[in-house]
This record gives sequence, structure tokens and C-alpha cells, in this order.
Amino acid sequence: MRLTDLLLWAFTVAFFTFMILPIVVVVVISFTEAGYAAFPIPGWSLKWFARIFEYEPFMDSLQVSLLLAVTATVASCLLGIPAALYLSRARSGWATAITTFLLSPLSMPMIVIGFASLFFLSWLGFGLSFTALCIVHTVICLPYVIRTVTAVYRSVPPAYEEAALILGASRITTFREVTLPLIRPGIAAGCLFSFLTSFDNLPVSYFFGSAQTNTLPVVMLAYMEHQFDPSIAALSTLQLGMAVIALLVADRLYGIEKMTVAT
Amino acid sequence: MSKAAPLSDRSRRALLLAPALIFLAVFFVMPLLDNSARSFLTEEGGLTFARYTAFLTDRFYLGVIAETVILSAAVTVISVLIAYPVAYVLVRKAGRLSGLIIFLLIAPLLTSIIMRTFGWQVLFARRGLVNQWLVTDLGLLDAPLRLLNTPGLAIAALVHVLVPFAVLSIASVLQGIDRRLEEGALMLGASRFRTFWEVTLPLTMDGIGTGAILVFMIANGSFVTLVLLGGGFQTLPLLIYQQFNTTRDFALASTMSTILLVIALACLWLQLRLVRRQGV
Repeated sequence: MRLTDLLLWAFTVAFFTFMILPIVVVVVISFTEAGYAAFPIPGWSLKWFARIFEYEPFMDSLQVSLLLAVTATVASCLLGIPAALYLSRARSGWATAITTFLLSPLSMPMIVIGFASLFFLSWLGFGLSFTALCIVHTVICLPYVIRTVTAVYRSVPPAYEEAALILGASRITTFREVTLPLIRPGIAAGCLFSFLTSFDNLPVSYFFGSAQTNTLPVVMLAYMEHQFDPSIAALSTLQLGMAVIALLVADRLYGIEKMTVAT
Repeated sequence: MSKAAPLSDRSRRALLLAPALIFLAVFFVMPLLDNSARSFLTEEGGLTFARYTAFLTDRFYLGVIAETVILSAAVTVISVLIAYPVAYVLVRKAGRLSGLIIFLLIAPLLTSIIMRTFGWQVLFARRGLVNQWLVTDLGLLDAPLRLLNTPGLAIAALVHVLVPFAVLSIASVLQGIDRRLEEGALMLGASRFRTFWEVTLPLTMDGIGTGAILVFMIANGSFVTLVLLGGGFQTLPLLIYQQFNTTRDFALASTMSTILLVIALACLWLQLRLVRRQGV
């Protein structure tokens, strides 16, 4: 038995080395002083982070990506929270079917969603606009909000809201004072997943690339095709840092277990 | 609310669903239908199945479909085999370390595909770290290996992206197993191995199934990893990407995306059946 345990642990350590190594390598390279991307690095410097801020396409697309991720997340909340509130309390067979439908964009190949939407949205007259990009990103972000809010709201007993209503609170007050605080962890987790999904998306954004609508991942991909220098590493490190901070803040506020229940 | 609520109230509540439903009907279902419809239309607007008959009788394209499915299946099998022991350690052995393990599982999910690919390229370059170990440090080889643009590396990179999903699916089912069933088997004289093989493993089949379908589904549509790391694969998503980029035969791309969509829908159907069985 001891031997099996030892083997299991050895396997787990090897597994996480495999998982973490490529990421650590990129983080280290982003601090290199060399002009090329190689590991181990000859010396430390912050010059590649400075380079990001000097290179205009990175900065422009960063703005597009941030604005896009915020817009898609807000839109997903506006569309998704009401639907999740309804579906968590409905028990009929068709409610299950509708939940499945609302979550189905997660199961469809991104490349097909991107390709199909490009033609359809052009036909509707949106073309390669920022609006079109926002619409498609909302399609892929909406399921995350619905899933996390539904998961949290299901575990809330209806008795709390019923008590508020019986005590004379109006529906709006009940929602604001009782329901909303209770489902806040679900909303936070949904926003986090939605924001990260949008910010990181390449397969859909790729189809909507133009001077005004190039997102950061699209620009990074194009850059990588011509140059292989550590600025991509520096950008990736910043992005990872942002995601880790967001996750830690969400964990501090609501607990990571509550958020992973829904995933 | 309560069952006695009047119908008008219930239908008013159903309005909560309307925005999300209408949005997805217009901007998710319609584009996909429109895209599939275009693969059935001739340039003059008539109905045609010619693209599908041509596609499904062409050796090259049949090979592409087969390669798409086989690559996804290979990635799925490898991911599940790797994920199971890790999920087992996470649920049964980790104890206080489980928080750290969950963090290490989630952290890679927060990194972009571009970041991971960049990492792979650096590690496996001709003068990269792995070749340096093999040649200089360990002296196993005389000359550096060509590791980039090989099928093995592309598969490893796909597994790297997808294996956390398999671990989380298996772990959640493993967590829910009634330990008394295993204790019973042990008390009745079964060896630990036999207990695992005949009690634990069958009980976690649903977790393996859910994880496998999830991995297969994502692998099936992925192309960024294959574009950047090469490997010589010809899969449907890669071909759609190429059609869009260079050849610009959009009708053919529509045909291919419809086929890809059918595979995805079949996976979704399987997944729903599995979830429904778990619910019983």
C-alpha cells in the first residue's frame, strides 16, 4: 500500500510539473534582459514590459479587449441573471430543456460560432464592427453567468424571500434586500468567468479582426507569426497576473469552493 | 412562488426568460442555421446536396473527418488516463494539500492559449531547455531532436489545455462515493486492488464519461494550438481556418462547419443522456 501511495504522489508531482512548467518558463522569460526568448535567461530586466507600452498595436488592442470584456459581461448579466432566477425555481421538464439550450453555446465549436456569426451579422449590417464583436462575445459569455447564478440561487431556500414578502416587502425590495445579496457570489463568479473568457478569446475574435476591432489575442497571434521576442511573454505574464488577482479577490470575498461548485 | 399563484403571475415571471431566449435565438441559433443553409444552396439559390456528396465521397475529406475524430479521441483517452490518478490523489490522499492542488489545476485555466504555446515553443525549441537536458546535461543524445511541429507535441499541448476539465469531472464524482461500499468489499476479503477495480472504478464511470465527453467536445473544435504548434494534422477546424484565410471557398467552409456542428450536437446529446442518468 505504501508503494502505491508513493507512486500516486510521484505521478501527481510529475503531472503538476507538466502543467506548470510551460507557464513558469513564460513568466521567467518576460523578465529577461536578452533580446530573444530563451530559457534559462542571462539576466533580469523589466524592459519587455516597457516595450509593451511603447508598441501601439498592443495598447490599442488592449483597450478594445478591456472594453469588449466589460461590455459582454454587463450584457451577459442583464440577460442572464433574470433567466437564471426563473430557471432555478422552475421544475418542469421544459425548464430543463431551456437551461440546456441557454448553456449550449459552451458546447458548440468556437470556430463555427465565429465563422457563422461573421456572415450573419454582416448580413444584418453589423459587419466588422465593435458592436458585432460585443454581440458574439455575449453569446459565449452568457452561459457562464446563467450557470453560476443558477447554481447559487438553487441552494437558497425560497423561505427567505417568502418571509420578506409575507412581512410586507414589495417584490422589488425583496429582490434588492434579500435575493440580490444571496446570489452575489454567483454573479461575481459568473462575471469573473465571463470577463476572462471574453478577454482571452481568440477563435471567435479572429473572424472579426479589423483595425478598429482587433483584440489583444488577435494582435498577439499576428505578432507571434512574425517575431518571437519576449514581449509576448511579458503580455502573457501581465494577463495571468490580472487573472490570478481577480481569482484571489473573488476567493477572499466569496470562497473558491462556492465558485467551483458551479463549474 | 407558491403553486396557488395565478397563471398571469406565472406567465409574468416567465418574461424573465425572454431577453436571454430571444438574444440566443437571434444571435446564436440563426447564424448557425443560416450557415448550414448556405451549405445546401447553389449559387443561383436552388437546393443542392452536391457539396455533401462530394465531401463524403472524397478520400481526402473523409480522411480529414477521421483525423478530427481520432485526434480528439486520442487526446480524450490520454487526458482521462492522466486525470484519474490525479483526481484520486486530490479526493482521497491530499488532505490539507487539496486547496493547493485545486489552485494548481485552476491556474493554468487562467492562462491564454498563446501563453502556453509560447512556453512549449521555448521548452522544445532546437536549442531549448528539453534538448539541452537531453544532449548536454544528461548526454542521452548526440544531436538535438526536432521536437517542434511534431504530432506528439501538439497532442501534449492539447492534453495540457484539456486535462484539468477531466480531473475536475472525475474528482466531483469520486467525492460523492459512499465509502462504506469500499469498506464492505475490503471487509469481505477483497484485496485493495480488487476493491478499486470492482467497486471504486465502476462507481466513477459517470465522472469518467462526463469528463471524456467534455474533453472530446473541446478538442474537436480547437485549432489555435494546432495552428501555432503544427504537427501536420489536417482536422476540420484547421481546414475551416485555412478556407477562411487563404482559399476563401466559403461554401466549403460552411459544409465543414456543419459537419463539425453535427459531431458537437451528437456529443451534447450523449452528455445530456449521461447527466440524466446521474440525476436518477
